[in-house]
Amino acid sequence: MNSLTATAVGKRYRARWAVRDCGFAIPEGKVVALVGPNGAGKSTLLRMAAGLSRPTTGELKVFGTPVQGRIHPDVAFLAQERPLYHDLTVRELVRLCAAMNDRWSTERVREVLGLQAGVDHNAKVGSLSGGGRTQVAIALALGRLPRLLLLDEPLADLDPLARDETLRIIMTEVADRGTTVVMSSHLLSDLHEVCDHILLIDEGRVQVDGDIQEVLARHRILVGPAAGESTVEGTLISATRTERQSTLLLREAEPAPRGWASTEPDLESLVMGYLRASRERRNSAQHK
Amino acid sequence: MNLQRRPDQVLPVVAEGLGKKYRRGWALRETSLVIPGNRVVALVGPNGAGKSTLMGLITGLLRPTTGAIAVFGDRPAGRGLHPAVSYLAQQKPLYPQFTVTETLTFGARTNPTWDQRYAEHLIAQAGVPMGAKVGTLSGGQRTRVALALALGKRPGLLLLDEPLADLDPLAREAVLRTLLTEARSQGITVVLSSHVLAELEGVCDHLVLLHKGRILLAGDVSRLSANGVPLGELALRHMRAAAQGEAA
Amino acid sequence: MIWASWRQQRLQLITLLGLLVVGVGAIALLRSSMLDSITSSQLTACVTQPLQDCAVPEAAKAFQEEWSNPLDMARLLIICVPALIGVFIGAPLFARELEQGTYVLAFTQSVSRTRWMLSKLVIALVPALVVLIALQYLVTWWLSAAGTLGPLKNGAFTALNFGIAHASPVGYALFAFALGTFLGVVSRRTLVAMTAGLGAFVVVRFALSGLVNSLVPTQRVEGTPDRQLTVHEDGSLVLADGYLDTAGQPVPEDEVNALIQACKTTPAGAGTPESQQEFLACLPKSGLAKQYADVIGESQAWQVHLADVAIFGGLAVLLLAGTAWVLRRQN
Repeated sequence: MNSLTATAVGKRYRARWAVRDCGFAIPEGKVVALVGPNGAGKSTLLRMAAGLSRPTTGELKVFGTPVQGRIHPDVAFLAQERPLYHDLTVRELVRLCAAMNDRWSTERVREVLGLQAGVDHNAKVGSLSGGGRTQVAIALALGRLPRLLLLDEPLADLDPLARDETLRIIMTEVADRGTTVVMSSHLLSDLHEVCDHILLIDEGRVQVDGDIQEVLARHRILVGPAAGESTVEGTLISATRTERQSTLLLREAEPAPRGWASTEPDLESLVMGYLRASRERRNSAQHK
Repeated sequence: MNLQRRPDQVLPVVAEGLGKKYRRGWALRETSLVIPGNRVVALVGPNGAGKSTLMGLITGLLRPTTGAIAVFGDRPAGRGLHPAVSYLAQQKPLYPQFTVTETLTFGARTNPTWDQRYAEHLIAQAGVPMGAKVGTLSGGQRTRVALALALGKRPGLLLLDEPLADLDPLAREAVLRTLLTEARSQGITVVLSSHVLAELEGVCDHLVLLHKGRILLAGDVSRLSANGVPLGELALRHMRAAAQGEAA
Repeated sequence: MIWASWRQQRLQLITLLGLLVVGVGAIALLRSSMLDSITSSQLTACVTQPLQDCAVPEAAKAFQEEWSNPLDMARLLIICVPALIGVFIGAPLFARELEQGTYVLAFTQSVSRTRWMLSKLVIALVPALVVLIALQYLVTWWLSAAGTLGPLKNGAFTALNFGIAHASPVGYALFAFALGTFLGVVSRRTLVAMTAGLGAFVVVRFALSGLVNSLVPTQRVEGTPDRQLTVHEDGSLVLADGYLDTAGQPVPEDEVNALIQACKTTPAGAGTPESQQEFLACLPKSGLAKQYADVIGESQAWQVHLADVAIFGGLAVLLLAGTAWVLRRQN
């Protein structure tokens, strides 16, 4: 069964569509990298899946049940702004969440907090650094013992060590309990380590959806003389050109002609290529 | 664009026994540090390690509790930023109602050493429309405007607190490229704090690693990672060792 | 969930308790000081007698001058507390969570939005009402110790006396609170909810006071035109008055004024006893047979209070339902 499915999901705020006609299906147990430029609709999608806002069109389903204005009991959500009550201590905040949840494990929360350096249980949440608050929020999300974990920029405020620890915690969660994870992030190098599925959203639409290895295998990066670009066959995603040389990102590429070097892209190059393409589309649309 | 005329002997930052104590404890302790000129310095460390405190002491926004610090040979006197120092805070403070043009005018009015043409060049390079209100710009564009504001006063030392946070991969790449280009061409020393070491690898040539208010590691990358260990890996190893040393 | 709401509103509840303690202490002290003043001025008997029967009128006057201000302050306190409840307890209740974004934490736990909302409401409202009722009781206790020498003698329907009696303060407090919470969820900004709530409360409170009166059946009291009806002085609420013609129908006001003017211009000189008698004889002849007044007697005051609570309480219920609806739809 799919942990999260979207069918023609759209969300409009006044005149602007934040998300438009999105469709995807995420199998259980996958770790999904949700990527795209800022304002692409990643946070909006995650919030809709968490039941915080309702789609204008379409429908989201979690484990087969439609999401209707409240969070599914098997889902936990980490919001980008890390909403926490600043005048409570960490201990009191844990107790607060325990009181607000049916299924809860305080031991799991303590375990996760213990794995992360530098969170004092008696400190007021407001006195913690941005990274400390992120760690607390992640621990609270895991205390719900979720089957689907939705994380909006979980690594954003964390220093390298904390990022390392958090990724480790997520991986253990996936390995031990088969939790499905959907995490949005800009830090592509970190994502590549843990994710096996990619969902690329841009301008509110799904541009890439699939297993990372398969997606990468379907693309090629070709480097060659700028003059010879017309000889290259395949769907061009984006190109960077200097006076003499072109670097092309292609999908379903034919074998490269002579004089061109062909490699399989890594996650960063792939995502950057799509982001460049959308930026060019945006710029040319503005100049029209 | 003429190079900044600064005598090579005057180092951007010399700190000796520098310390800062708050009510809750020492944020920075017994720190002695030299930042050589013309470097792009990565300031790394866990949250609470003292990065913002160190930046505050360099800019003169904070007063040291112990020790002394000299920026281009002068002691920060707490009377406003040293004219040769520029600081970009993490939240990239700009007035959302101002247009980009008005923001640059603000920079011109508040900085005696302002170079309007240079600032406009940076804005044009970033592709940001001059007439747009700052509040309507994207995160990446706002960062570029804030950077133009910081560079427009032609500093000798540029401090950036987490400039890449909240930016998507394309914007990060663009900002780092601009920083590197301008630092090299203008002879500016750049100190930037960031958590993402992987992308600093091609850009930074000097590392300062802080942990709990003390310096764990400081030096040119070429010297520190003589055997070619990447910057990120190096820092991570030291941070892990320090954390374990504490737990023990 | 109860602990959760208590912990979040802990500071507020402790402040309320502190205010209650201060209020109790102050009122008790002032009341006993006032009683001392009464006994030392030999006014004890006067307190239960009508003012004109008082044996020591100068002492009574002095007492009133000394104590009317504190007693007025006490009444004003009970008038203001409902508004303060709306502004400081109702308005920030949800506005702060929405403003700071912490509602996202609550909405992504298993507790239903309605249960979360109810729990916060109850923990905020109940102690506030308890403090209000306690203060109301204490102030009334103090006021009644002054008896006819105090403001209560003015009758149950004066603005300050009515607004502090019976269940009316609780009704106003419920309305102010519900108004505050509703404006809070709609505006999502604490300061806006507080100021708009205060403004709207004051406006509605005054706009509706006339409406309340018209909901209670009145009695018609009639009398001869020669002297003023007693109801104007005995504390009853007069909603309409005027003259009746011989058929028992009310005479329109402009006609009444014209007829009275006509009767005033009689041949005899003005101000003499004959002219007075002639004036009074003239009125029935012109068609102004009797005076009348539609009144609500003081003993009926409880009915007006009931209508008051029904209206303001009803509005409160509507606003709370609106608050719940907005929270559930929160996007």
